Order: sequence, then structure tokens, then C-alpha cells
Amino acid sequence: MIGQVLGHCRVLSKIGEGGMGVVYRAYDEVLHREVALKVVNKDLGLDPSASQNLLHEARASSSLAHPNICTIHEVGETGGELYIVMELVEGKSLHVMSGEGGLPPESVLRYGVQIASALARAHDRGIIHRDLKTANIVVTADGLVKVLDFGLAKQVGSGILEGPTRSFATVQDASSVSGTLPYMAPEILRGEAADGRSDLWALGVVLYELASGRLPFEGRTGFEISSIIMREPPKPLGPPVPPGLWATIQRCLAKEPMQRYQRASEVQAALEAVQSGAIVAADSGTDRSAGAPRTTVLHSVRHAHVRKGDFLLLVGTTKGAFILRSNAQRSRWEVGGPYFHGHTVYALAYDGRGSRHRIWASTQSYWGTLLRSSEDFGKSWTNPQQASIRFPPDTGVSLKNIWQITLGRPEEPDVLYCGVEPAALFESRDAGETWSLVRGLFDHPHRPRWMPGNGGLSLHSIVLDPADNQRMYVAISAGGVYRTDDAGRTWTAQNRGIRAMFMPDKYPEFGQCVHKIALHPDRPGRLFLQNHWGLYRSDNCAETWTDIANGVPSDFGFAVVIHPKNPDWVYVVPVESDEFRCACEGRLRVYRTRNAGASWEPLMRGLPQKRAYETVLRDAMSADSFDPVGIYLGTRSGQLFGSRDEGRTWQKILEGLPSVVCVRCALVEDAFGESKASPRESHRTSSPAKSATTPKSQQTKKS
Amino acid sequence: MSVTFHIPGALREFTAGRSTVEIEQLAGTLADALSGLWTLYPGVRDRIVTEQGQVRQHINIFIGAENVRYTGGLASPVSNGSEISIVPAVSGG
Repeated sequence: MIGQVLGHCRVLSKIGEGGMGVVYRAYDEVLHREVALKVVNKDLGLDPSASQNLLHEARASSSLAHPNICTIHEVGETGGELYIVMELVEGKSLHVMSGEGGLPPESVLRYGVQIASALARAHDRGIIHRDLKTANIVVTADGLVKVLDFGLAKQVGSGILEGPTRSFATVQDASSVSGTLPYMAPEILRGEAADGRSDLWALGVVLYELASGRLPFEGRTGFEISSIIMREPPKPLGPPVPPGLWATIQRCLAKEPMQRYQRASEVQAALEAVQSGAIVAADSGTDRSAGAPRTTVLHSVRHAHVRKGDFLLLVGTTKGAFILRSNAQRSRWEVGGPYFHGHTVYALAYDGRGSRHRIWASTQSYWGTLLRSSEDFGKSWTNPQQASIRFPPDTGVSLKNIWQITLGRPEEPDVLYCGVEPAALFESRDAGETWSLVRGLFDHPHRPRWMPGNGGLSLHSIVLDPADNQRMYVAISAGGVYRTDDAGRTWTAQNRGIRAMFMPDKYPEFGQCVHKIALHPDRPGRLFLQNHWGLYRSDNCAETWTDIANGVPSDFGFAVVIHPKNPDWVYVVPVESDEFRCACEGRLRVYRTRNAGASWEPLMRGLPQKRAYETVLRDAMSADSFDPVGIYLGTRSGQLFGSRDEGRTWQKILEGLPSVVCVRCALVEDAFGESKASPRESHRTSSPAKSATTPKSQQTKKS
Repeated sequence: MSVTFHIPGALREFTAGRSTVEIEQLAGTLADALSGLWTLYPGVRDRIVTEQGQVRQHINIFIGAENVRYTGGLASPVSNGSEISIVPAVSGG
């Protein structure tokens, strides 16, 4: 190889050799500089697609410009040789430097901060290292850390597994595993996908190794090592390792990803804090040396065991959330929960778009309001360090509550919306990672004159027009209905014909206390609306509203649900009055129209009809998509009822719950990585707003 | 000088399980001390204060036995050896 030219680099001498290939010193004859040239080992047996993936990955990594990341200049293939041209880094690897007994704490912190900074940059660009280890980190003569081989491990698969990893490969098919065993996070050993937090685990291993000169998880065989990684806490590090550094390492080495730092920048901040001497000691009286802080993995609650094809009811209450599992029969229910003990869960949503099976929940307590999610049907939940939904500083406004979580259109599977209190709309375009305030609505000149309803000044309804991707409706209590026709940039009040009994002008432009709106995808120009006094329909995209309270005992109520398959069928639950918000005459009756509001009929078979002073709140009723359609409602007294025959007869599913504030339906079409025909077809929620976002083509395929 | 924070159970998830955290800092205010706390344990911040930096409505902070609502809020002075407790209010149903 010496003297050969690959691309425009002449190979000068061999520098070293690793599992991935041989590294040469080379000379770039175009740019006239020395570079490192890595020639990928042919013995890895990469097939053409793996080779292409490796090249693709390397190209992605080449976009990373950071002082602590070894820059990739070029990637290529010539004569069947895959090669990567990168910055020539001369120095010692941390593996060599840590040696016997480890490095002084100051050095560990100095290097650790730089490694964390490099990871933060890469993670921001969506690049995960996947094989971070002391052998991959070089310190130059100037003391500058350089992290090598970003993102290259994934495509090489088991090919670069070294040392003990090889024996690991003998006990388990490791073909889908990449990385080096002593640095591998438990979730990778479990066969789950790596994410940025897997790199933070590896960083914890690196810091431990640097601080002590030994690995935190050691064993004689790959099996033993992986078993220790999965189960055992690392041996505690005492002086001279500062407690703050040990705490940081422990946090990186939490077995569950959600217990770790969630971002590399947080590790960097923690190490800098220790570096600056901000912490001198930390009481370890309650420290469980396992490094497992209080966790969101819930062992004391019962979980529903969800399988493909199951039907779920997500129930939010004032003291936590429940997940009920059934199947198409909807006759027997397995109850999971309660989740988020003591927190009010106002909003729930199931996102089955793409390959997800993610449940979203908003939780409210003394400690604020958070948006949290679960990928495993409630067994574990995210608990973000920083609230993802937050008002920008210039607004001077603080989040009080999240009232609504609405999925974006099927063709935009990473889009989500949240309606919050104080009334505002937030949007995420990256599947809920980051959120931004929809300024067009927040800056609306009406906003200062909106008035809070009894539940606060909330934006509780978000309805997307399935036929027009620029159009969307929101409802605010008490601000009224607003519509945008330009994807949120501008909004107009759409309340003509809706009464505001509590205002001197009974038909103002805005300020109505709308309780809920709903739209059926088959009739995108038509909306139904339950008002604070008043039941309405619009047939012209909310331009005007018509009173349809023709035969209901009261036109006061909260929830309104449209039959998923028939846009003329609508369900409401009237309550007696503004002052006495209980089922009329103490009889819990659902009212249904089958002619878009021309007349209504009571549905009560199986519902309590004596001393049933119940209230069904605005999000506490929902419909599934089976045939026949099921309707579900939860009450403030903690009862949950369901009907499997479109409301004709009802059964009590649960009682004794805390006050029910939210009921949502979800059909789990694709669980645990099973294949599916079409990602779009997996979106199966049927709350009023969610139904409204689901096109007819999907609706009819349900059940 | 140093001050000690007493961390309630609900927040120890974010302090590596620790019930007390000692912060070394220059003499200053409660805001300075809190800033030191969440530099070390970033997850604690959003649970104690809103995104606008105000202590949450139902969270009380005590320096010694004094509720800081009556001693100047976040501007309350802390001194060497101050013990700062973070306590959720007794409220709700």
C-alpha cells in the first residue's frame, strides 16, 4: 500500500491498525497537506449496500466541524478499496494515557468537557458515535481532545468488535450490534436502537476509566461482561475523584436511558460545574450506589401487556393516567397504571405514525407542566430535564397547563400540536423533540381581551382541515373559534352566530366560551361546536354557525364527538346548567343526532339513571373505529363507560377512578417493530380532534 | 462559603438520588445559589421555577426557617452555612 495513490492521496507510511482497517499517514497531493487515510478492512465482508451506507455515514460525519472532532475530509472507493481521508491527529489515545491508576481528576474533567462538547455537536446534527471509547479519543500535544470515527461504527456492524466483544459474538448473534462491549449501553445489549444517550453511557465508561484506570464493568468473558453491564452498578470511586465527578459518572451510567442525562450538553455543564469548584461535597446518605436515581420506570404499578392488534383506551384523570387494553371485542379490559401518581393528566394522544407506538401525556403538578411520552405502553416514560414546551422570554408568560395534544396530518408524521393554558398553540416539526410558539395566534390583537373560563384561559381544541393543509381551527375558552388559512401565520375569529350569554353583546366577534369543536374528514367544511350554552353546526368552514339544540334537555355541555364513519351522527352529554354542571335530572344520558342536529335522541341503556349527578368533561368522550363503532366516556366521579354498539347500550368498564378529564382511543396496529403495510394506515386515534385529522381513506380501513 | 440545599423526594430523580446538595459559591442571593444548583443538576430548574424564572406558585423555598416569600424572594441573601429547603405547598384536593 505504501506509495500507492487513493483518490488524490499518496500513502506514506502505516500508522496503526484496528478492527475497522489500517490507518496510514498520507499526503494530499491537491491540497498539499498530510492526512490520515483509513482503508477499510476487506475482511469485514461488507456487502455493497453496507459499503454504500458506510460512505454515506462518513459523508454525514464530514459535516461535523468542531475542534474536538477529527474532521473527515473525504470518503471514497477505488478498486474495491473503501477509504476515508481524515484530519491527521498526532497524539496519544486516552486508552494509553489512562494506564495504571487513571489520570488526575483535573485532567479527567478537562478531557471530559471536550468529549461532551464534541458529542453535543454531533448529536445536534443527528449523528451518534456508537463506538465511543478511550481508544477512539486522542489527545494532541497541545492537550486538545480529538474524538475519532464519528458515526462509522453502525455500518460496520460486528466487524469492528474487538477483544471481549468477539466472545460476546459467540454467545449471541451480534450481527446487528455495533460498538465495543465494555462500552456498550444496556439498551444496545437488549437489541434496542442506539441513540445519543447510548453515547452518554459510553462517555460515563470513558470518564470512569480515565478517573480510575480500570473499566467500570469487567469480566472474563463477553457473557460475563454483558451480564454485569445489564445488572451491576459500577464500583464507587472515592477520593481523589471528587464527589461531583462521581455523581456525573453515575448519572451517565444509569441503566435506563431516561435516567441518564438526556443531552451531552448537560454532561458538559455538570463537568464544568465540578471543574469550577461549584460543588465541594454531596451528601450520599440517600445515594443508592447503583447510580439509579428515582426513576420513571414504574415497578409498583401494573402494566397492560400490549400486543399488535390490541385496542387501547387512554384515560387521564386528576391523579394520574391509566392505559386499558382490550381487543376488537372490547369486552374484557386489562388495566395499566396509575401512571404519574398525583399528577393531573389533561391530555393524552397515541401516535402510531411512521414506525412509532408512542403515547403522549401532559402532566401537571406542583412542579409544573410537562409533555412526556412512552414507547413501551407505559412501562417507562420520558421525564425531560427541561420542559420542552415553554413560552419564549419576551412573552413574559409561563405555561400553566397543556390541554390538548393533536397529531399533525398523516403526510407530516413528525408534526404535532399542543394547545395550552394560557391560551396559545405550540407546534413541533420534529416528532415532539422541540416546540415553538405559533406567533401568528399569540400575537393576535384579540389576545389581551380573551377572558379565562372556569378552567382557565385555555386553548383546548385543535382541528386540522384534511382537505386543505393550510387551514386549521382552534377553540379557546373564552376567546372563541379562530381559523387560519395560511398554516398559522394569520388567524381570524369565526364566531358569527355563537352566543356569549355572559357578555353585554350576546353575539360578539370573539370572546365566546367555546367548550369543544369537532370536524369529520368526510365533510371538512362542516364543524360541530359545544358552547357554554349552545350547540352549533357550521357548514361553511366556521364562517357562520347555526343553533342545532333541537330536542336536547339542555344546550350546556362540554364534549362533542362525531361518529367516525358517519358525519351526520354526533354525540353530546348535556348538563343541567352553568350553575349546576351535572347530568340533567340526575340521569346520565348521551344524546345522539343522526341528522346533523335536526333532532336528538337520548342513549341511556346501561347508564345510571338515578342520582347520577355526573359530568363528562370536554375531552372525556371518544369514539373508536371498529364496526360497529364504540363510544367511551369518563365522568368526574371516576366512572368509565363504554358502548360497543354506537351508543345503543352501555357497560361500566371501571369505577373508582379519580375524576376523569381525558379519554382517548388507540388501535395498536404495529407494535414492537413488527412490519406494516403502510405507515399512514397506522394512525388510529379517534378523539374528536384526532378523528378530524384522519382522512376518509384511513377511517374506512379501520376495524 | 457554601450553602446546603435540601432536595425533596420528588426531585431526587434529578440530583442522582441525593437528599442534600452542598454548593460552594461566593456570598450572594438565593438566585445565585439556585443557579449553582441547576448548573450541577439541570433537571431541577424547571421544576422549581417557571420558564420566566419565577418560583412556581405552589413551591416554597425556605432559608433556614424563613419562607423566602417574606424575605425578598429570589433576592433573599444567603450566607455561609445557609440551609435551603425546597418544599411543595400544602394544597390541593
